[in-house]
This record gives sequence, structure tokens and C-alpha cells, in this order.
Amino acid sequence: MADRTLHGTGATPRSGLGTVVWYDPEVTLPDPEDVTVDRDAESEQFAAAVETARAELESERAATADRVGEDEAAVFDAHIQFLEDPTIEDAVETSIADGLPAANAVDDAFGEHIEQFEGMDGRMAERADDLRDVRDRLLRVLTDSERVTLGQVPEGSVVLAERLTPSDTAQLDPDTVAGFATVTGGRTSHAAIFARSLALPAVVGVGDALDDVAEGAEVVVDGDAGTLLVGPDEDEREAAAADTGAAVVEEAVETTDGHHVEVAANVGRPEELSAAADRGADGVGLFRTEFLFLDRESPPSEDEQYEAVREALDTFPDGRVVVRTLDIGGDKRIPYLDLPEEENPFLGERGIRRSLDPDSGLFATQLRALLRAAADGAGELNVMFPLVASVEELESALDAVDSAAADLDDRGVAYERPSLGVMIETPGAVFVADELAARVDFLSIGTNDLTQYVMAADRENERVGDLHDPTYPGVVRAIHRTVEQAHAADAWVGMCGEMAGDPDLTELLVGLGLDELSMSAVTIPDVKTEVSETEYSTASERADDARLAATRSAVQTTIQDT
Amino acid sequence: MSVERTVTIVPEAGLHARPAAAFVEAVNDHEAEVSAGQPGDDLVQAGSMIAVTSLGVGQGDELRLVADGPDAAAVLDELEDILTTPEEELSA
Repeated sequence: MADRTLHGTGATPRSGLGTVVWYDPEVTLPDPEDVTVDRDAESEQFAAAVETARAELESERAATADRVGEDEAAVFDAHIQFLEDPTIEDAVETSIADGLPAANAVDDAFGEHIEQFEGMDGRMAERADDLRDVRDRLLRVLTDSERVTLGQVPEGSVVLAERLTPSDTAQLDPDTVAGFATVTGGRTSHAAIFARSLALPAVVGVGDALDDVAEGAEVVVDGDAGTLLVGPDEDEREAAAADTGAAVVEEAVETTDGHHVEVAANVGRPEELSAAADRGADGVGLFRTEFLFLDRESPPSEDEQYEAVREALDTFPDGRVVVRTLDIGGDKRIPYLDLPEEENPFLGERGIRRSLDPDSGLFATQLRALLRAAADGAGELNVMFPLVASVEELESALDAVDSAAADLDDRGVAYERPSLGVMIETPGAVFVADELAARVDFLSIGTNDLTQYVMAADRENERVGDLHDPTYPGVVRAIHRTVEQAHAADAWVGMCGEMAGDPDLTELLVGLGLDELSMSAVTIPDVKTEVSETEYSTASERADDARLAATRSAVQTTIQDT
Repeated sequence: MSVERTVTIVPEAGLHARPAAAFVEAVNDHEAEVSAGQPGDDLVQAGSMIAVTSLGVGQGDELRLVADGPDAAAVLDELEDILTTPEEELSA
């Protein structure tokens, strides 16, 4: 056990071990009483500082666009506009004319607006961070402060800070920094998004407890558990040090004996598409469409859904994009859809059950959008239905696809029928996998729900957390049976649960015959590397042992025994 | 002579971040005094990122633009373009 464990929000499912370096960008302002102010000189200094800051911002913008992406770089455009804001300039010039040094004038001018934004909520409050960032940059230039350069921290540093602004993170070199942790921030803060796009271990929102961690202390940043381990023990250190991650593999991978396995990304929001491509995804194995329906007051239009799917298809022009139709209910709720209160929502109206009734109107709109996108998008569209438990449900869903096609015919709009598939998440679907596979092009195993339903263990209930493990023989055999039945019907079969992204299980899954593995973008390089180091014939033999094993420990023996 | 126009905001982020930066940059690139505000509210200086951001204008909101100067018509065309282009299509 570590000496101390601090809890925050994990930003990346990655761990890092390193030595604490505190980052404190504060600058000391001159005391206006002590200095005689030459108004013209101060005014010139201010103008020169704005020029220098602008040049810095432009070069950091270019570096970020290059290293991280255009979306992340765009924040610097906003900073340039804040820097040159006429309101700030007027306020600074007025203060200088009143006899204040330029640095104090800048501090005052920004301070007023920072306070104003801090008092607002959500998105507006984040602007306070942007203004603080621009102010600190100007003050550093004006006071000629040594910049605490995050770009030059020693290799193996874990950076701790109150907060990390976009300018800060732009300097972090993911090859030398072991990770970072911040007092403030949430999963969607600049710093967290940055960490995810570079697969850098990070924990945000640790709170004031972080302040007590000493410079030079050894820590583990566990971005998966959302913890910071201060003074980790031997096991914790080794586990973190081993979690370095593999290099990005751009091309498609096959086993040492030439068996191809597609490695794809699970994507929940459009902004994750380019990150997935950057991490070497061959395509998208699970495109969740719920984001289109969240945080709004009415459902998205057919055109809006069409655009979102087009974007995904155009990001992977040579790849396959598997879109899951709307999957709400269970723990996923949408205010305007008026979901019923259910005694047991995970066994209630969710997934395809709702899409057939009462959401058949929404389902029809979504299918029309998908059929249109299939005709126009660059990549190959595949569409799958969630939580199917019976052949009857699949047949109704296929009828809905036919009706959508007929509607588009009537409208004279171009469309194409995408390849269709079924998610295997219920024991009912496993037992009729042969019948389902005979009616579609592919099956995709959702292991999080499949494990929950096969083991009858609630995903969210920690008391039965031990049972929620896909290496129990009941789950392994369900996967094996599904793959066998799919292949017998000439359907391909993929997996898009968390199991698919665990590099320790890659050999087992390849051996069981999965044609595609889809996961969150972070672990794609690791799984691709695993696939290319696996020998398919050996993996198949081991997988036979695993599916015949009687206990979880016997299954795990076949996995670890390498 | 001043010209004015009311535009409905398309970018998902509203008038924030990238769309706001593009908006302010366009204002300052033209020879025109531009002010902006929600219909019925006070107008603010459109060349100020702080002022524009603090309007808190979101997707679907209306924004009233008033321009005065030699480039008045041209700047309104460009601003309307920025405000009606989905963010992902906005070239940086």
C-alpha cells in the first residue's frame, strides 16, 4: 500500500510513475509605491509585451496544431483575441496614465474581467481560465520572469499544479513527462482532454489535498482509478512503470502467421474521431449515437444525424464505421423522451426495445439518416442494433430498415443499404446467435452488458464487482459460441466492450476467432502490438483450453501462461 | 450610414472559443465600427473578445449586429458567414 492515496477524476486509462515537480506560474508584481513610473516607457513596454506574447502564442499554436491537433490549437486563436482586446488595452493605458507600472495595470485590467467570468456558470467560467492564462503570459514578459518551462522538466517528472492552462499543456512533452495531477478541473477540462488525446496519465480535480504532496516525492498517477499514490509500494511502482503503452501502429495488423484482425475505436463524441485516427484505429467498431440526443430539448433532425455520421465516414475513408442505433434506457436517460420509472431498468425498456416501441418515430428518422450517409460517406457504413434478445426483434428492426428505404425512394433521395448487424449482449441472443447471424452481415459482442447479464451481476454494484469479470467460463463460452455460430453463417464477428481493449486478453480473443476488436482509442497501439506478436495457431490452442476450463482461475492460467 | 442585421447562431459552441475568435478577428480586419447584442439588449463593442464572450450567446440564439463605416456591408456578410457555419467546418 502507498503511504497516502489521493482521489480525483481520472482523465486517461493509463498509469505513470515519477517524481513530483510542482509547477507554479505566479509572478511577483512590483509594489507601485516603490517605483517611479515613466509613463511613456511603461506604455511602450506594454505594447512590446503584447507583441512578444502574440509571437509566443502564434508559435505555440503552430506547435500544438502539429503535435496534438487543429481542435486543440484553436484555443490559442481565442487567446490572441483576448490579448489584443481593446477593452484591456484602454484600461491598461488609463492606469499607466494614472501612474501605475505596466505590470500592475495589466493585473488590474484582467482581474476585473476574470472575476466577472468566474461568477458565471459552465462554459463562461472556463473563459476565466483563458483570461488568467493570457494575463500570466503578459506579466511574465513584463516582469522579465524566468518562465518555469514545463517543456524542460526532467525525464520521469510528474507535474503537479493548481491548474494547467492550454499554454501549459502545449509545452508538456509526453515522451518525457510521466503524468500530471491538478487541484482543479474535471473530465472535460482542457487539461483532461489534452491528456486523453496524447494518452498521458493524468488525474484532475484532486482538491486541496494535492498541496500537501512535496516536491521530489515519488508518486503514481493512476488515470484509470483516478488516484494519486504518494510513496507507492514495490508492486504499485512496478505496475505503473510497466504501463508505458506501445507506439502507434498506423497500418492494419496481422498475427505472425498471417491472420488479420481489425483493431477499431469506440467513439462517443465526434471530437474523438480524429484522436482515434491518430492512435492508429483501422476504423470505428462502435459509434455511439446517444451524444446527438443529449444536452438538448428535442431530438436531432434527420439532417443533423446524417452530418454526424458523414463526418465519421469521412474520417475513415478506407475503413469501416459501425454505428449503433440509439441505445437509451437502463442508466442512460434523456429528459424529453419521458422514460418510464422502472423497478429494474437494466431488465426493462432499453436499446432496440424502445426503438421498436415507443420510439419507432425516432428510429425511422435515424435509419433514414444512416441510409443517406451510407450513400454519400467515404468509409463503409455498418449499422447494428443494441440489446437484441430475440429473432422477432431483429426482424422488426430489419422491417424498419425496409420502410426507411421505401420512404427515401418516395422522396427520391439517394441512399444505400449499409451492412447490418446485431449486438450480442444478452444470453437470449447468444443462444440464437445462429439464427441472428443468418439474417445479418455481422455480430458484435458487447462484453460489459453480456457479462452483466450472463453473470447476473450489476455493472455498477461494487458488492458483486468480483462477478463482473469476462474471464469467468460462463462468459468465455458465450463468446466462443457466438463466434462459432457467426462464422458458420458467414458473418464476421467483433467485440466492442472493455474486454476488447485489454492487451492482456488480446491473445485469448484472437484465439477465440474474433475478426475485429474495438476499444477506447488509448489502448489501440497496445492491442495492435499484441496482435502482431501473437501466433494465431498457438492462440487458438490456448483459447480451446480457456473455453474448456471450469473455473475463472483456470481460464486465467491459460492467459498468463505465456 | 449604419446597417444592421439579425442572425441566428449555428455553431454548437455558440459565440465562444473558435467562432468568437474568428468573429472578433473579422471585425478588426475591416474598416467599420461594429456592435453586437441580443435583440432588445444593450449592444457591446464587437471588436472586443471579452465583450463578445460575455454576451453568453449560445447555439440557436439571435444576435443583432450593427455596423457603421466604409466596410459596413462587407463586414456584416463575413460575420453572418461565421455565425451560420457549423464549427467543424470553420477553417482555422
